[in-house]
Amino acid sequence: MPSDLDLQIEQLIRCEPISEEQVKRLCLKAREILIEEGNVQVVDSPVTICGDIHGQFWDLMELFKVGGPCPSTSYLFMGDFVDRGFYSVETFLLLLAYKVRYPERITLIRGNHESRQITQVYGFYDECQRKYGSANVWRYCCEVFDYLALGAIVDGTVFCVHGGLSPNLTGIDQIRAIDRKQEVPHDGPMCDLLWSDPDDIQGWGLSPRGAGFLFGGDITKAFVHNNALSLIARAHQLAMEGYKLMFERTIVTVWSAPNYCYRCGNVASILELDENLAQEYKVFQHAPADVRSIPAKRPPAEYFL
Amino acid sequence: MAEATFIPQHKLSDSRYSRTIEIADWIITATNRPIINAAETDTLQSNLGFPLPEMTFGNNSLCLKHKPSNWEYTFKTLEALRAVKNGELVDGDGGVKVGYADAWLKSRTDPDSVLPLPETTPTKHYDWTYTSAYPGHCNIQDAFLPAESSNANHTIPLSELTRQDPILFYAEIPLYEDELHDNGSSHFLIRIRVMPGCIFILSRFTLRVDNVLFRAFDTRIYHSLTNSPGIVVRERSGWEAPYEQIKRLLPKKDDLNPLTDHNFIAKSLSLLPSELSQKSGAGTNWRSLGTRLDVAHLDTNSLQSGIENLKL
Repeated sequence: MPSDLDLQIEQLIRCEPISEEQVKRLCLKAREILIEEGNVQVVDSPVTICGDIHGQFWDLMELFKVGGPCPSTSYLFMGDFVDRGFYSVETFLLLLAYKVRYPERITLIRGNHESRQITQVYGFYDECQRKYGSANVWRYCCEVFDYLALGAIVDGTVFCVHGGLSPNLTGIDQIRAIDRKQEVPHDGPMCDLLWSDPDDIQGWGLSPRGAGFLFGGDITKAFVHNNALSLIARAHQLAMEGYKLMFERTIVTVWSAPNYCYRCGNVASILELDENLAQEYKVFQHAPADVRSIPAKRPPAEYFL
Repeated sequence: MAEATFIPQHKLSDSRYSRTIEIADWIITATNRPIINAAETDTLQSNLGFPLPEMTFGNNSLCLKHKPSNWEYTFKTLEALRAVKNGELVDGDGGVKVGYADAWLKSRTDPDSVLPLPETTPTKHYDWTYTSAYPGHCNIQDAFLPAESSNANHTIPLSELTRQDPILFYAEIPLYEDELHDNGSSHFLIRIRVMPGCIFILSRFTLRVDNVLFRAFDTRIYHSLTNSPGIVVRERSGWEAPYEQIKRLLPKKDDLNPLTDHNFIAKSLSLLPSELSQKSGAGTNWRSLGTRLDVAHLDTNSLQSGIENLKL
């Protein structure tokens, strides 16, 4: 007989939200599991690495078609599950339900959108309000966000993180020392891991926005060398081709939200690492347009002024 | 019930990425393609000299061609991005920093900081907000002259545009969009509607920098298909307000969602006293604040022949 959790997974797979009470219990369970995980979760190959999803639930279903169902395939998601898409609730809860059901087969790490501040602006808060009539579900989810790992390492040599490197972290051991159970701060190493970007510069650069770091090829290669890595996998930036390798293949951006925001027309990808850590990038398209309530391609005529 | 409107002859054509209407003397084409790929990005980036917006619809355009006079007006992504400041921002460029920039830098530069700033290489100077006062461009130089305030035709007739005449052709053409690394949003969108009596375009740049400011730059283009001689009226308006000023106009205090809605932002900016939104703005000294109205005359002789052609 299927457990309650199995039934909830079945329901979520149909993109139907579970009840507030069920969310509450799921989030409590998830926290018990996540609190045991390190800041840098240790993962074994073979594993499939995924980038930003951003609430594009039906495109996540496409991802599972391409990558294989969970738990047959072991997955590592590099954050940004929520915001912008129409189904952040169903997307995050499904991934979380998988995490609770198959904790060894799925790893979730934190993206900069797994934050109270960001979700209030970019849609998740709103969606919870709309679908549940209160902010309770949003609150339960945000508590889970604080427990998500900051990174992961596959077979000791592929380092996965949402954003990138920090000038205050030269070794992976230093990441392990961070107290991660907090809202994403506006500065410091934890912020950098979730926010920084690689760029074609030498050394460290200051973002023209006035806050945040860019890191160059030399920094990336030094980090890879000093930590005996073969690759850094990160997400956080849209890649039209689904992924983008930089700095002599020492770092890759993996992007898993096809037709981002339902209008970019980009493809997405996942990175499959086999038991020898050989990389295969599987590219996929967005879900067919007939799938429910995605806006029609052509906007309705409007009497704008 | 509105009186029956006379629908002039027109021809619509559609392909995968573009839509065209031919009406009276005009051919109007809207092109909407996906964001550009990595190779196109590299080319455009080296052409412009700064990193592109996250979503660059580099092949999108709107083109209006007046056949008898060969007068053309175009909106193109590349040109919109050329109007973004490349290089160090100076007075008038309206440069801003993210809301927490000072606190961030301070945490790194305090003498007893536990997170000292590493040695950094200078990064590219450019306007990371992608502010662009690009109003579209004309194939004829200096085609537009200041509007005459005494000439009733030198205005955009709101009464005509609020009338629910049938829309014969409608398109929305995004040029670029960037979430400013989750510090706000920068957005450039063109809309056009062709009605039995007129062509109307609204090109709108909208900027939100969280906890800092809102900014908008609107270009409206109006052409009456019935008035003669043929003119094109263009109105350009720049607006700005501190973030908190617009936030105060939210219908529900806790719901920040309208702040991501470009229509809400534009409406709110227009509701503020123009002393604020079009003069002092958010105190950035941005040079494009205020409203300018100008007019282009289409070549009357060829227009005449156009009308004769129609009679045939």
